[in-house]
Amino acid sequence: MRRALLILAGLLAFVVVAAVIVYVAFTGPGEIPPASRDLANLSAEERAEMAQAGEYVARTGDCVACHKSPDGLSLAGGTPMETPFGTIYGSNITPSRDHGISGYSADDLYRVMVYGIAPGGSHLYPAMPYTSYHAISRADNDALWVWLMAQEPVERPNRPAELIFPFNLRPLLAFWNLIYRPDPPDQPVHGITAPQEDQLARGRYLVEVLGHCSECHTPRNLAYARKADAHLQGNVIEDALAPDITPAGLARRGWNTQDLERFLGQGLSPQGVMTFRMFPVLSHSTKYMTPEDIAAVATYLMQDAPAPTSPEPRPEAIAQNAEGHNHYLGLCAGCHGANGEGQPYGSVPLRSNTSTMFDNPLNLVRIIREGIPARHLTGYQRMQEMPAFKDRLNDAELTALVNYLRQRWGGHEQALSVEAVTDTPG
Amino acid sequence: MSDRMLSVTMRINGKDTDPVDLPEDLMLLEYLQEYLNLTGTRYGCGQGVCHACAVIHDAPGGPEVVPTCITGVAWANGRSFRTVEGHATRDEQGNVTQLLPVQQAFLDHFSFQCSYCTPGFVAAATALVERLEAGPVAREDVEDVVLEALNDNICRCTGYVRYLKATRDVILNTPGLTTGEVAASDTAT
Repeated sequence: MRRALLILAGLLAFVVVAAVIVYVAFTGPGEIPPASRDLANLSAEERAEMAQAGEYVARTGDCVACHKSPDGLSLAGGTPMETPFGTIYGSNITPSRDHGISGYSADDLYRVMVYGIAPGGSHLYPAMPYTSYHAISRADNDALWVWLMAQEPVERPNRPAELIFPFNLRPLLAFWNLIYRPDPPDQPVHGITAPQEDQLARGRYLVEVLGHCSECHTPRNLAYARKADAHLQGNVIEDALAPDITPAGLARRGWNTQDLERFLGQGLSPQGVMTFRMFPVLSHSTKYMTPEDIAAVATYLMQDAPAPTSPEPRPEAIAQNAEGHNHYLGLCAGCHGANGEGQPYGSVPLRSNTSTMFDNPLNLVRIIREGIPARHLTGYQRMQEMPAFKDRLNDAELTALVNYLRQRWGGHEQALSVEAVTDTPG
Repeated sequence: MSDRMLSVTMRINGKDTDPVDLPEDLMLLEYLQEYLNLTGTRYGCGQGVCHACAVIHDAPGGPEVVPTCITGVAWANGRSFRTVEGHATRDEQGNVTQLLPVQQAFLDHFSFQCSYCTPGFVAAATALVERLEAGPVAREDVEDVVLEALNDNICRCTGYVRYLKATRDVILNTPGLTTGEVAASDTAT
């Protein structure tokens, strides 16, 4: 008995020692390439030029999405991100001495962006998408740093994360990083602050690195890391479906490159209007991107896609689901049209709407229940408010309507049960 | 317009309408104006945003306001509604003898100029007053409740304040709609 205990104690000691060795040797930051230029001796002109380039890096990286404060101050922090383990709040990344990042060097910023490790060695939660940003070019990082340091400091304290045990133990993230943090690329990266002839390569960098699209659009495993074999295949996050945006997934719902460019650049396409957490992506990020970069993103996302094959409308749904047809005419057709044609500047067409096509009814159910606020898109483009209908439809009526929309325009012949429709969040 | 027809009857201002075959995608507003000659309900934005077309739907759970320009007869069929023509008391010849307190208050406060939005405001304010009869609010909350109830109605002439004050005064001066002490400042306008 005593012998067994000794062996157990020995094993435990071995595991602890091994863990410490692994922790020290492998989980810290890796190599940091030299700065792209002499940042300590920039002329005023060079600094202004870099700040301008850095602003574009910040836009395409959509820093504001998470680092905005609830009262709308860019970069002052406090935007909540809901995870299965609790809530994390975006931090203050203004150059405030007490609450922000005024003490960061450009190397420090690179360590954060690529390795998820803050000055002083503490680990960031991967809600900060360093698993995507890890391939940022040193020149893009340096331009971003110059721009960040040129912003007005905002004296707003950070709000601590509210995570359940053991996810609140930051040092444990070292072991998560050991498994899931990608290595930085071997070759120097061609960032966006340098001209790029190769449109596909630029699109890949915008989508996979700065745009960090896969952070929402890729399903996650039990450790909340992205599943490498299901890249961009769609994921439910913060009670909304971030859909499949693989070339095949997009083509199945009728997307082509032109539609995708309109959607990303203007927030609107025949497939619908930006909703849920994608609308802030338009407001803070994609509407500021150059048409060339939007085209690069669309080209990369649609590369080798099969020809678009959106579902054919099924007029037989009218007879198949008379109750749903009646609710549609009574509550929806006034704006969306009896045949789903929609109205310019008012309401989206439903006969090409992507939300009816998803297998998961989540987004459709939430939009009908909660409505959509009026949208100011780009230029003069507007979409009016869609009212919430949760008080006008009981569960059976909502189910009939959701099924009707899916059956008439979404290519779904089968009806979902009341439970499948109503057991959705919201 | 659809060529599929729907047999429709509903209760309008307390009277059942004769069943009639209507295009199934007809909106309630067109039914009121074109078939029943009730032209007081106004067509504004046509998109359910301005609430000039709002009427009261007497739902099982109490009165609620619906925009008739985007509400189809397919939904309205078999339900009960009150339009602006149905609020006042009339004599046997059909002449108005007594306005609703809300209507009188809008006149007293000069709440409207062109009046295009007024029927919708009457519907929203009346539905609010009736909801408060069933569940009064604290006097200090009246302004918030009024703003919330009338916030969906758009007016381009008088700037809302006179509609809001008129509705607030009706609520404060009608016994049973509020709880709490009466303060002298409550009814100052």
